[in-house]
Amino acid sequence: MEYVDKIREIAKDMGEVRIMEVCGGHTNTIMKYGIRDILPSNIKLISGPGCPVCVTSQYDIDCMIELALNGVKVSTYGDMINVPGTKMSLRDAQAKGADIKTIYSIDQILKEPDRVFFAVGFETTTPMTAKLLNHNIKVFSAHKLIPPAMRVLISEMHIDGFIDPGHVSTIIGSDIWNELNIPVPQVIAGFKPESLVKSIYVLLELIKNKEVKIINEYPEVVLPQGNMIARKLIDKNMKSYDADWRGIGIIKDSGLIPRNPELDARIIYKDMLKKVVTKENIECRCGEIVRGLLEPKQCKLFGKKCTPDNPLGACMVSESEGACAIAYKYGRSLSE
Amino acid sequence: MSLLDKNNNDKNADNNCPTGTCPPIKESDEHIIKLSEGSGGKEMHRLISEIRKRLDVKTEWTNSDDDSAVTKIGDKYFFFTTDSYIVTPIFFPGGDIGKISFCGTVNDLVVQGAKPLGISLSIVLEEGFKKNDLFKIIDSINEMSKMTNIPIVTGDTKVMENKSVDGIIINTSGIGIGDFVLDKKLEETDVIIVSGGIGEHGAALLAKRFEIETELITDSKPLVDELHSVNTLIKQAKDITRGGLASVLNEIASKNEVQFHIIEENVPLLQEVRALTNVLGIDAYNIACEGRFVCISSKQNAATVLSKLKKFNALSAVIGEVKNGKGVIVQTRFGTKVLSTPSGSIVPRIC
Repeated sequence: MEYVDKIREIAKDMGEVRIMEVCGGHTNTIMKYGIRDILPSNIKLISGPGCPVCVTSQYDIDCMIELALNGVKVSTYGDMINVPGTKMSLRDAQAKGADIKTIYSIDQILKEPDRVFFAVGFETTTPMTAKLLNHNIKVFSAHKLIPPAMRVLISEMHIDGFIDPGHVSTIIGSDIWNELNIPVPQVIAGFKPESLVKSIYVLLELIKNKEVKIINEYPEVVLPQGNMIARKLIDKNMKSYDADWRGIGIIKDSGLIPRNPELDARIIYKDMLKKVVTKENIECRCGEIVRGLLEPKQCKLFGKKCTPDNPLGACMVSESEGACAIAYKYGRSLSE
Repeated sequence: MSLLDKNNNDKNADNNCPTGTCPPIKESDEHIIKLSEGSGGKEMHRLISEIRKRLDVKTEWTNSDDDSAVTKIGDKYFFFTTDSYIVTPIFFPGGDIGKISFCGTVNDLVVQGAKPLGISLSIVLEEGFKKNDLFKIIDSINEMSKMTNIPIVTGDTKVMENKSVDGIIINTSGIGIGDFVLDKKLEETDVIIVSGGIGEHGAALLAKRFEIETELITDSKPLVDELHSVNTLIKQAKDITRGGLASVLNEIASKNEVQFHIIEENVPLLQEVRALTNVLGIDAYNIACEGRFVCISSKQNAATVLSKLKKFNALSAVIGEVKNGKGVIVQTRFGTKVLSTPSGSIVPRIC
């Protein structure tokens, strides 16, 4: 608990410090181990947009539901099927008979090459999608890139420092963060609670000393140049585009789609997708929650109409990365 | 025609109530059953309670959400339980669907203090199922039956058309007899004991399903001897099944209107289960066991109970204590958190 004491010590003569943990995996560690409990009250942790399920636009979800209901065989990662679309979720479509398979590993898709893969995730899961494209699997890509979103966030709200995502950095490397010109200190952190607590301390030191630099506290897996094999595979098969983020909107060059239009489901099925009309639930505050502007409890649907059993917004879906689902699971007091 | 159109046509089901006294069915309710309503979490509990509400039969049997229903005949208690088993994959490291369908039902009897008398075995098979696989499953049931001296006394077999079931569904029911029902009142300072490492069954299955190589095997086993060795020393017991430790702790705490205070570091967890659940982003508290139980004992009996349980599983441990209040609180190495009943289906994280 050495670093817990050090955090308390260093925080004594600091004002309010706002730290954003970008990655949903970090939010999970923080809540799972009760780390907010041990931080001094002037150190605020803000959950960022790093939950792939949460930032996937509702339009993309609606598109997949439309394809599935029209007989296109679909595969995707488990959490995606619970995300509410305008009329239903992919799980509802499945209950109505649509052929939707949830997968964990892309090897499962290679065994059934006729399925369209609904690809989501950040830099971490993109190499696997790139590999599928290399094997001529059709993909509907909602892949997003983390650094462009961070640049948008820092321009619209006050953040003193970032805890950078560990798994994303494993792919893109630690060097690239230096080139991104993000004007606040950053620490790349691992996911064990001890490692995260140490990273918070290291970040507080940088903030206190006004040192705008990047420290890699996850060197056992994050190399300076990242994973070159993965980066080359991505570059060969995918190209950047202006992706639509739920809650944030369109960010220039913040997503990746297939280079080969014959494998891009958005193009292949464009006639089928013309019918898709998306209407977002105006009461759902997911958009502000992924931007760190609101805490889950500040949404009036949270824990009442919107629960993990019946998520009304994407943030309530992923128990491992969604800010609302994590807050619902660990963060409630017993009176709620 | 899209699937959407097809399903909109048949929404007006006829009311087929034989006596005309059934509770009304809301025609406007278009809810269809989802997979998550069977995965051991809150949604399943809600569905079960709705079903029970419609089954308002007056009876001498009691069943307060426990594993078996109980009735008294003369000076003996009779216990009756039933369960259907579906599992993917059917064969997994250390066991198969046959083993869990025997052990699960036996365990539901013994956690309430019963001596199992006999088990029924009903099998629904998909056309095309390999006979040799069926025989392997039957042999593993037979092995468990011989080991525990609990006979299979009746059964049924059905075969359904290709694709109408996924391979095999097994239903087992069991009856048992006992001199008492293991259901004593819990008090503050009682201790909570778990009979071995948690989540090994669920982790072994997940590893097989996601083709991750591990040495993990299912924890599935009959708990007859373990429970027999402690059932006069403990106040209550419940086997951990779907929904994992989180679900069982919440059920016991809520039924008894007490609070459980759990020390996370004392919860026994094999390193491989920890690693696998971390890799998949799944909470080890939420995944299934098939041969573990939680029991509550008074503080003075705790050491004896633990030493008896350790003979069966060295990882059995005191994991916390009973307090006044409600819910399940977990003390981690850092702070505290609320442990809720799992909801939805358990799925691996995306990145």
